[in-house]
Amino acid sequence: MLEVNIKRALPGFTLDISLTVNEEIVSILGPSGSGKTMTLFCIAGLVRPDAGLIKLNNRIIYSSADQIFIAPRNRKIGFVFQNYALFPHLTVAENIAYGLAGQPKPTVSKKVAELLEVINIPALKDRYPAELSSGQQQRVALARAIAPEPEALLLDEPFSALDTYRKERMEYELLSLYRYYRGDILFVTHDLEQGFKLGKQIAVYDNGKIVQYADKYTVISNPVNRTAARLSGFKNLIEGRVVACSVDEATVFIPEFEQTLMVNFPKSLKLNTDQPVIIGIRPEHLTAVSQPKHNSVGCRLDRKVRGVTTLHSYYYALADQQNRYSLECLDPQTFLDHQDHLQDTCYIHFNPQHLVIIPLD
Amino acid sequence: MLEPFIMPLSVSIKTVLAATVITFFLGIAAARWMVDYKGRFSSLIDVLFLLPIVLPPTVIGFGLLLLFGSRGPLGKLLALFDTTIIFSWPATVVTAVIVAFPLMYMTARGGFEQVDPNLENAARTLGAGEWRLFWTVTLPLSWPTVMAATVLAFTRALGEFGATLMLAGNLPGRTTTLPVAIYFRLQAGQMHEALVLTLVVFIFALASLALLAYWKAQARRNGRGQ
Repeated sequence: MLEVNIKRALPGFTLDISLTVNEEIVSILGPSGSGKTMTLFCIAGLVRPDAGLIKLNNRIIYSSADQIFIAPRNRKIGFVFQNYALFPHLTVAENIAYGLAGQPKPTVSKKVAELLEVINIPALKDRYPAELSSGQQQRVALARAIAPEPEALLLDEPFSALDTYRKERMEYELLSLYRYYRGDILFVTHDLEQGFKLGKQIAVYDNGKIVQYADKYTVISNPVNRTAARLSGFKNLIEGRVVACSVDEATVFIPEFEQTLMVNFPKSLKLNTDQPVIIGIRPEHLTAVSQPKHNSVGCRLDRKVRGVTTLHSYYYALADQQNRYSLECLDPQTFLDHQDHLQDTCYIHFNPQHLVIIPLD
Repeated sequence: MLEPFIMPLSVSIKTVLAATVITFFLGIAAARWMVDYKGRFSSLIDVLFLLPIVLPPTVIGFGLLLLFGSRGPLGKLLALFDTTIIFSWPATVVTAVIVAFPLMYMTARGGFEQVDPNLENAARTLGAGEWRLFWTVTLPLSWPTVMAATVLAFTRALGEFGATLMLAGNLPGRTTTLPVAIYFRLQAGQMHEALVLTLVVFIFALASLALLAYWKAQARRNGRGQ
């Protein structure tokens, strides 16, 4: 179990987080420059926090109160760097063996052979890192990090340099490595899909703070603020004000739409009349209809935003000629069906069950 | 007949080899230490280390005379052991080390600072102490630069004249190095001898540069880079 509670002043903001990892994979999700990497560096002991306490399996590895700072080499924490940081002058086998210094030779070679099998590149053991593909470098970096059997493993955006296909394979391999390596894994990413696929818990970072730390399904379905909502895929965020609410249903007035929307919300959420809120909806949950109906707003198709295949196209639909608001919608079928007359006006329907409501303070 | 040429050559070789070995270790130690040292005197120490490059050799020689003279602090210390280095062979080594040191220090430090800090961080998280990571990561990765630094130090030590003359004097067979011998041959009007000695130095320097080029090519060939 890894317990982290640290403060560290950084240019522009202060990192101030508290986080517990209990033998699972936790994803740290956040925009660049929100302190994700700094958190890992502090945990590994490569950067000294200003204050706080870090415990790994009840062993204190940093405590400002007791003036304890265990050197990185004694922390038993594995680290996979963003650029892999493989030793360019050592072979694959020598890289993996680096953390096994001091162990008897037969043990080291057995362990290295075993890990080469696990990462599936036994034939490349005498190659140098520059002779490997980035996917292979990645696997060597992972194998090297877990070779000394660390109690926690930290990964800093490990897949950011890979293309989509390799990324997916590596994600799969990381999960299979996890079966080989039992310990806490803390994993930094700015990619929601990846964080969701790999993590069990997700910690959402913003400006040096954790804005939400919860089970990944909770993070996906109930973001707590604007940043969490944006990071978890709610591309459409609309400001409004509650005009009426029951136990699990609210009527929210949206000034931009000059009309109200019905929103369902979990019973645990407390809402008051007149409360300012943000309404969020994912692009894939917006549907276009040709006739106005309940909970819909008038739009015209503005432009295709990105994507070459029909399945992954995003469309912007702007509500009226004044461009007062824009919505992002992923619904190729609807648009293909209505392509011609959508130049005029269509209606975007908001399903109350797919809307999330985030109270503003 | 060859003796007048062999004597300064052998003095120079001995001096330069001893000075290069000493400078190599001193320079690397100082560079390694300064990379990490973040104290408030760091720029002052840096300036002090680099001072011999900008000072005229005669100033260095004069300073060393004051330091090692019978009234100087180091002179008094050596007097306790009934010895002095002024006008003796060790003086040629001392002056050569002093003038060659800044080149070794400056170049090696640049090499150490160019190593990706995350490689050193990776070694740390893999259980390496600072000593092990220096020998297994930092030094091997900056080896071509360290070698270039060594050749620079070597050639500078070979060319040292002014400070050597002031501290070690001109005692043939003991302190007369090649540059000093050339000067005194010219003074004595022995043009031919001076010319031969000049050629010897020339070949020596050229060989060093060839070695440097060879190491550079070698480093590029082995350059597994990242």
